Amino acid sequence: MTNIIDAKELAKMFLAGAKNLESRKEWINDLNVFPVPDGDTGTNMTLTIMSAAKDVAAMENPDMKALCKAISSGSLRGARGNSGVILSQLFRGFTKSIKEKDKLDVPVFADAFEKAVETAYKAVMKPKEGTILTVAKGASIRARELAGEGCEDLGYFFDEIIKYADEVLERTPEMLPVLKQAGVVDSGGQGLMQVLKGAYDAYLGKEIDFSIEEASGDSLKKANLEPNSDFDIKFGYCTEFIIMLSKNFNIKHEMDFKEYLESIGDSIVVVADDDVVKVHVHTNDPGLAIQKALKYGALSNLKIDNMRLEHQEKLFKENQESKEEAAQEPMPHKEVGFIAVSVGEGINEIFKGLGVDYMIEGGQTMNPSTEDMLNAIDKVNADTIFILPNNKNIILAANQAKAMVENKKIIVIPTKTVPQGITAIINYVPDLTAEENEETMKREMGNVKTGQVTYAVRDTVIDDKKIKQGDYMGIGDKGILSVGSEVSDVTACMVQEMMEEGLELISVYYGEDVAMEEAESLKQRIEDAYPACDVELQYGGQPIYYYIISAE
Amino acid sequence: MDRLSTRVAVATDSNSGITQMEAKELGISVLPMPFMINEETFFEDITLSQEEFYEKLKGGANVVTSQPSPESVMEFWKDILKEYDEIVYIPMSSGLSGSCQSALMLSEEFDGKVQVVNNQRISVTQRQSVLDAMLLAGRGMNAAEVKDFLEKDKFNSSIYIMLDTLYYLKKGGRITPAAAAIGTMLRLKPVLQIQGEKLDAFAKARTSNQGKSIMINAIRADMENRFGGAKADNIWLEIAHTKNEEAANQLKEELLKEFSGFDIVISPLSLSVACHIGPGSLAIACCKKIT
Repeated sequence: MTNIIDAKELAKMFLAGAKNLESRKEWINDLNVFPVPDGDTGTNMTLTIMSAAKDVAAMENPDMKALCKAISSGSLRGARGNSGVILSQLFRGFTKSIKEKDKLDVPVFADAFEKAVETAYKAVMKPKEGTILTVAKGASIRARELAGEGCEDLGYFFDEIIKYADEVLERTPEMLPVLKQAGVVDSGGQGLMQVLKGAYDAYLGKEIDFSIEEASGDSLKKANLEPNSDFDIKFGYCTEFIIMLSKNFNIKHEMDFKEYLESIGDSIVVVADDDVVKVHVHTNDPGLAIQKALKYGALSNLKIDNMRLEHQEKLFKENQESKEEAAQEPMPHKEVGFIAVSVGEGINEIFKGLGVDYMIEGGQTMNPSTEDMLNAIDKVNADTIFILPNNKNIILAANQAKAMVENKKIIVIPTKTVPQGITAIINYVPDLTAEENEETMKREMGNVKTGQVTYAVRDTVIDDKKIKQGDYMGIGDKGILSVGSEVSDVTACMVQEMMEEGLELISVYYGEDVAMEEAESLKQRIEDAYPACDVELQYGGQPIYYYIISAE
Repeated sequence: MDRLSTRVAVATDSNSGITQMEAKELGISVLPMPFMINEETFFEDITLSQEEFYEKLKGGANVVTSQPSPESVMEFWKDILKEYDEIVYIPMSSGLSGSCQSALMLSEEFDGKVQVVNNQRISVTQRQSVLDAMLLAGRGMNAAEVKDFLEKDKFNSSIYIMLDTLYYLKKGGRITPAAAAIGTMLRLKPVLQIQGEKLDAFAKARTSNQGKSIMINAIRADMENRFGGAKADNIWLEIAHTKNEEAANQLKEELLKEFSGFDIVISPLSLSVACHIGPGSLAIACCKKIT
């Protein structure tokens, strides 16, 4: 085993780490403490790293600097969710430390691990122990120890780091009571371990799968749509495979092969590495592409999709998207603009009525990435832009976007729920300065209480409450307030827990799965229970949450 | 005429919220504003009390403000001039009504004896202007000098009004585009401001506590940024309301905690404003004290 790693080797290790994380994302999702139906940690971290892996995979013979840039900016832009953002910051710190080196050895790695951890801790306002940060710190501490002992054997170095970080991961339940109660280790920390282990496997020369699943990211989905957005799909089968080269495949072969593919299809991608070639083509006769490829070696990871069958659905979706975009396109210049993360047509309407210029669809099920934020910022033609993330798992991505924007002033109001977002924007006063507004909005959003009702996706114990899969849960600002098997009862019970002296108004936003009559009768029930309060019922149309309720 | 012996009268209209009774005590004159209610003409505080007014408004009556007739204005002045040499007349803001403009025109026939002050005040701030005018006249200024002084001082006041509902504002058509954009789906309590010429949307709140806190912060910012600091010897602080006395009294307690040492006056908002915003509103106003 080599004790020095160059850019090419590092790229392989990175891709292997990404791939390994992706293959275990569902398993990591299952480690989520909150049994809310969402696609968080595993999915978010995978989407984050895949955004970088896509760039890295497309590079031919990268030098260290270019590779570092691809890893850093790819993951920063793709970052979603808290653990995704932290992962991207770890990469940013790591690559900052190594980008000027050509060869990486033990001392360089030890420095890079430290820089990574330092950068990630800085990115989080209140770093919490027992999370991905703690696991990363464990790795860097062990790395420094080994380097200090004069260790030169990279294989031993990696092995020891992974062992120690795994031990730290096993201890995370001791540091975070919620983990202990749920009987799991931290999911973000586990995600990081999968990246490290995948990279180590690549270092050891274990079988590596270079293919990067294109369906994993939003931007990729869009890219796939472009060639077949015409009403007629000219070439019906999306064909992908990898050639394990057994013969020489030089530039001339590559050109010939591409030319042949062009004669039978379009949307061609041919990426050659030392001993593999990744191929992507849209064609009406996948067999021809496969036959031709077989001349250069054996094939693996074959995937053929009939795009005509999937087209209707995609077209409909795309249409809707482009319609929305067209409506929002020519925006006159303003001094101050608003971006809100929102889900559900009712809630979208409310935000629009309150003056939000651009809505990012997202929320619990799909956390928007930093790049989604950057796109939104780009579309809002204003000097100062307020962002309302409206979900605690999206605030970091918004802050990260803020740090990447130079020509506009971005203010992230850290709203954790939709009602907090509504309160924040209601309290915006056009006559005040941005700073004064920021202060008011941050203060006022703290004066509204939120409760949200959803169902549990698995059995767990949290906040001393036993929850069974399929139960309904009322979740407040600080934890679970009520659990039961009947939505209205759970909701009423949650409201009872939320109430306190001096509250004047209870707003009920009912979701897409709740019938209006049902919502009306819940409203009546709340009115009867709290005659001193006004109760207002609104259609939110949000998925997953039957009710979002605020009290202020 | 000897300057010292010039007798200067102060007069205003009923938009100032000064009642006929109070006017007598102060030694000034108040011109009642006419209202058309279901096509019948009433005069504020003469043939129409606050209670009657709100009852009719609540009953869905069609209430329209109108300007005093030129004749009534001139008769009003002529009456005063029987006892005084000059009049300082302070009508409601020219930004809210045409009556100031009409008065200015009519005053041209009085050879400078009637000085119409165009200082864009309304309600409690208009009332304060009247008190200021009395003070200045008492110091020996003639009517033209008082007018000049008050007009230079016109931007030194501020009013914030929290409405209970947007209903009357919409109904009266007195809603600026900014205010119209307020709240589509949610029930909101708009906070309006009167700053110089116009009545405009300032902010919005969901609950009255939020609205009060917005107004208090705005008033404090005005005091500090425009009126030389939140000090009792520098600033008049006032509360006004439309049929909302209990809440006004409670607001006074709260304001005294925020601005200790201030002398806070509570007055009902004049009906000309009330008919546009409806009952249940609360307002905080401040004026810089004259030196």
